[in-house]
Amino acid sequence: MVPPFDYKIPNTIGEACDLLWQAEGKARIIAGGTDLVIGLRNGNHSPHWLIDITRIEELREIEEMDGALSIGAAVTHSEISSSSLVKKYGKVLSDAASEIGSPQIRNVGTIGGNIVNASPAADTLPPLMVLNATGKVVSKEGERQVPLSQLFKGPYKTTLKPHELLVQIIFAKLSPEVRSSFVRLARRDAMAIARMSVAIVLQTEKRKHRIEDICISVGSVTPTPQRMSEAEAFLRGKSSDEEVLQKASLKISETMILGSGVRPSTPYKKPVVEALFKRAMRKALEE
Amino acid sequence: MIFPQTLLLRPQTCWLQRLTMMEIAIKFILNSKSVEVAVPSHWTLLRLLREKFGLTGTKEGCGIGECGACTVLLDEMPVNACLILVPKVEGRKVETVEGLGSRKSLHPLQKSFIDHGAIQCGFCTPGILMSSKALLEKNPQPTREEVKEAISGHLCRCTGYHQIIEAIKKASEV
Repeated sequence: MVPPFDYKIPNTIGEACDLLWQAEGKARIIAGGTDLVIGLRNGNHSPHWLIDITRIEELREIEEMDGALSIGAAVTHSEISSSSLVKKYGKVLSDAASEIGSPQIRNVGTIGGNIVNASPAADTLPPLMVLNATGKVVSKEGERQVPLSQLFKGPYKTTLKPHELLVQIIFAKLSPEVRSSFVRLARRDAMAIARMSVAIVLQTEKRKHRIEDICISVGSVTPTPQRMSEAEAFLRGKSSDEEVLQKASLKISETMILGSGVRPSTPYKKPVVEALFKRAMRKALEE
Repeated sequence: MIFPQTLLLRPQTCWLQRLTMMEIAIKFILNSKSVEVAVPSHWTLLRLLREKFGLTGTKEGCGIGECGACTVLLDEMPVNACLILVPKVEGRKVETVEGLGSRKSLHPLQKSFIDHGAIQCGFCTPGILMSSKALLEKNPQPTREEVKEAISGHLCRCTGYHQIIEAIKKASEV
């Protein structure tokens, strides 16, 4: 039984911020609703108001700026996966978006919702981490730019205040020589939550296949999204042969265990994350 | 009162709950007809279609967007009606399986499903028909892989999907 609420549909960001301010913490933002509606039914939230942001034009746009791409918080996963801009300048994100849920879920689920729901298994988060994305957060008090990594406090918890609204996600365009890959492990090919995922962005020196720079993020293995800095530091400047990848994969599993502790799932996740990372590296290098 | 909580667990008809429900008026296009209805704001599109409009072709399989049995087209896009709250459809276009064809004039997809044995219990069928319709309108000549991707949001416990994929492919060749 869903508790009663008022359904508000603002037309501008300003209106949404006013509503959030007036609500004094008793409102929730709804975009696609694919997570929220289930949460409402389970009694996870009982807001007095639902504020639907999907009719605000600016939040539905993918904009190309001088060196960067800006994606509105209410852009759907379908739109991201088919956007020529994102496929060109942020392929790791469009690849991930195209594997979320099912076509029905992708048609209404949004990137903003995926971020703010903050599931440790959220599929857009590892790509956004390796893209060094920032979120633009607005409220009646003003606006701020938050590096994505600082948006998360813990599983399903963001650092957003109750009167704040995430409006855009911005990242620098990847240049054409940059390679990337996203691999996802789940019980099925569709409609299954990611058991584990790996997102990689890397730049190699053309002839020698030497890694100049690399960003790695693994999903579903840490409470909040993070970069695998140890493995990244190890890989920079090295040639990308199997021995190097093997050593790097051990650093990945070490970081995972450091972040999440030794859990009942560790005997499974340790060898699997090492293998999945190597798979993602080979995929990126083959590009 | 031994179990006061049970007051809250009674079905919708409890007067206590009717007082607290907020009804709103929604106007939208349903199977090409403009309709207007008053409904509690927390209802899902699935419930609206089945209980207010009597369009029971759309089914509830799981209620959490994981089986596709409740798939309808919202502005020509397949969506899970069990996850769409009614205020969201204001001013938009909704199509259900009842709008696809009739007994006297079946949609080519419906005919193909019958011809290829793609229906056993029929519970998943309305949802898959809607996703297939959306596919063929966007992509009239899909590959086998594209058909599988289009129905990847549907679970069928009966057929094993093979006849369904055949039916859709063959319908696209008509």
